[in-house]
Amino acid sequence: MPAATRAGSPSGPVLVVGYGNPLRSDDGVGPAVAARLAGDPRLAGADIRSAHQLTPELAYDASRASLLVLVDAGVEEPPGEVSVRRLEPGTGAGAAWTHHVDPAGIIGLARELYGAAPPVVMISIGPASLEVGEDLSEVVASAVGRAADLVATVVEAHRRA
Amino acid sequence: MSQTITIDPVTRIEGHSKITIQLDDRGEVVDAHFHVTQFRGFERITQGRPVHEMPALMARICGICPVSHLVASSKAVDDIMAVEPTPTGADLRRIINLGQIVQSNALSFFHLSSPDLLFGFDADPAIRNIVGVARANPQLAKDGIGLRKWGQQIIEWLGGKRIHPTGIVPGGVDFQLTVELRDRILAGVPEALAATERAIAWYKQDMIRWEEEASTFGNFRSAFMGLVDRDGNVDHYGGWIRVVDADGHFLADKIDPKTFNDYIGEAVEPWSYLKTTYWKPMGYPDGIYRVGPLARLNVAERCGTPRADEELEKFRWRVGRVAGSSFHYHYARLIDTLNAIEKIEELLKGPEILGKHTRSIAGINRNEGIGVSEAPRGTLMHHYKVDDDGLVVWANLVIATGHNNAAMNRAVLQVARKHVKGDRLEESMLNRVEAVIRCYDPCLSCSTHALGQMALKVQLLAPDGHVLGEIAR
Repeated sequence: MPAATRAGSPSGPVLVVGYGNPLRSDDGVGPAVAARLAGDPRLAGADIRSAHQLTPELAYDASRASLLVLVDAGVEEPPGEVSVRRLEPGTGAGAAWTHHVDPAGIIGLARELYGAAPPVVMISIGPASLEVGEDLSEVVASAVGRAADLVATVVEAHRRA
Repeated sequence: MSQTITIDPVTRIEGHSKITIQLDDRGEVVDAHFHVTQFRGFERITQGRPVHEMPALMARICGICPVSHLVASSKAVDDIMAVEPTPTGADLRRIINLGQIVQSNALSFFHLSSPDLLFGFDADPAIRNIVGVARANPQLAKDGIGLRKWGQQIIEWLGGKRIHPTGIVPGGVDFQLTVELRDRILAGVPEALAATERAIAWYKQDMIRWEEEASTFGNFRSAFMGLVDRDGNVDHYGGWIRVVDADGHFLADKIDPKTFNDYIGEAVEPWSYLKTTYWKPMGYPDGIYRVGPLARLNVAERCGTPRADEELEKFRWRVGRVAGSSFHYHYARLIDTLNAIEKIEELLKGPEILGKHTRSIAGINRNEGIGVSEAPRGTLMHHYKVDDDGLVVWANLVIATGHNNAAMNRAVLQVARKHVKGDRLEESMLNRVEAVIRCYDPCLSCSTHALGQMALKVQLLAPDGHVLGEIAR
């Protein structure tokens, strides 16, 4: 581990990434939350992105952020339920599977390559359906606003701290 | 009693899949299958959609190669509209497609395969990953991220956004390149070339370590297919289909891509949702062929750019005029990347690239259209039929992973025969079976990836289906 590892870049922007496949029904809830947050005054100045999946180059931008908020479908949650948890830097081995990197891998890469990893907050929404389709299920669609509010709360708390 | 070993799912490929290895009574491998267990329903959901929506919709199939689908889809709609994109529009499409090739090849080589190559196939999975690479060889990891980032930036700057870009439209592109943007992309060329050449040098230096894998990782005789230009050089965007046999003899050349259905058949097997394509003149299953970076180098005379051609010459000196081992996909992928970077530079310096005529406009003039281009993993074909109002009534996508399906199955069988002994599951066998699949970098991106859903699970099953043993990581 680099000797000069920092906890992100305190003066850097907040980075919010909603990710998932919008052609697989509720797997697209992350991008839907990102879309809801675009232009939200509570997140003014934040870098809000929509992604299909997490990929390694995100580590570079993450290392320059003061906070990374990830929003994704989480199969461990009941349908429509929104949960939040903090991922501590270094808590994962960063093992890669498929073409995307897991959140721990992003943190690990940011630390190893760029000497800084921001605090990471994971917001998960339980999916009801992951079948082929463009629409969110009713229960998950109704959770988008709550998840967006939760992101805003997390960001506001981070900025106050 | 025969038994089946199941590896379910394969890690570090895109999508859901598993591998089964069939043993006979003596514990010898008699058959192996690479199963894709996710249903890809995109062809179905396109029915009834206005055809002009298809490129943007198809781009959403995949987060790794959206541009590939965007290009092939736009070309299919060009065909339906009976238009040719303007020269500037076609070149801008080429640049975005090449940016896609760079970033996807980088993901495959640096992120997915370099851990195996750096640490060895038997290294602890806890370190045999991209974070481990970052610790052991930070330059290699940074080069991979740098190439990914540059390729993604090209897509974002030209296509409008990084994921699911929309700048490519039927008839061409919907933007005009500015001097500032051209120069911004060009500014990244030297470092992209340097990063790729560092990786090639590193790979060649260590090649000898993988001689055994190269001899057994899908090393078999098959045909190869790819697009070539009028001079027979690699063409990632258009040109003609060329197919060569294992000795490099032409099975077909100068095939109009729009006639691919005359030559390419699709078979369906009960054990997989992934269609298996085959070369019709040889029938199924004999008509096995491979596509992708290795095939592109095998079918073409040259890459058509100086640095890539210099490396291609060395490649052929090392592995032969037609490389038969699937292990050489890794090496080929790096040369393909070099070729793509050089082509991007060449196109950006072209006299018409800043031209304002970037799109041809037309309506529905045909009820059927076909678009073919080279995706990172190989030749991609989109085929649509529409009604007189331009609504899609039928669609068929022939994807690179389908072209490679028969070859992947054969490669798995070869590796399993070499490394599976008896009825016990061992890491060394698992590592190599997975690794041979990764040579092809299959993309089954119909998948969801909801957090927590995937892990590596290996099952040993008796003929009646009950689980004899299971390991996971």
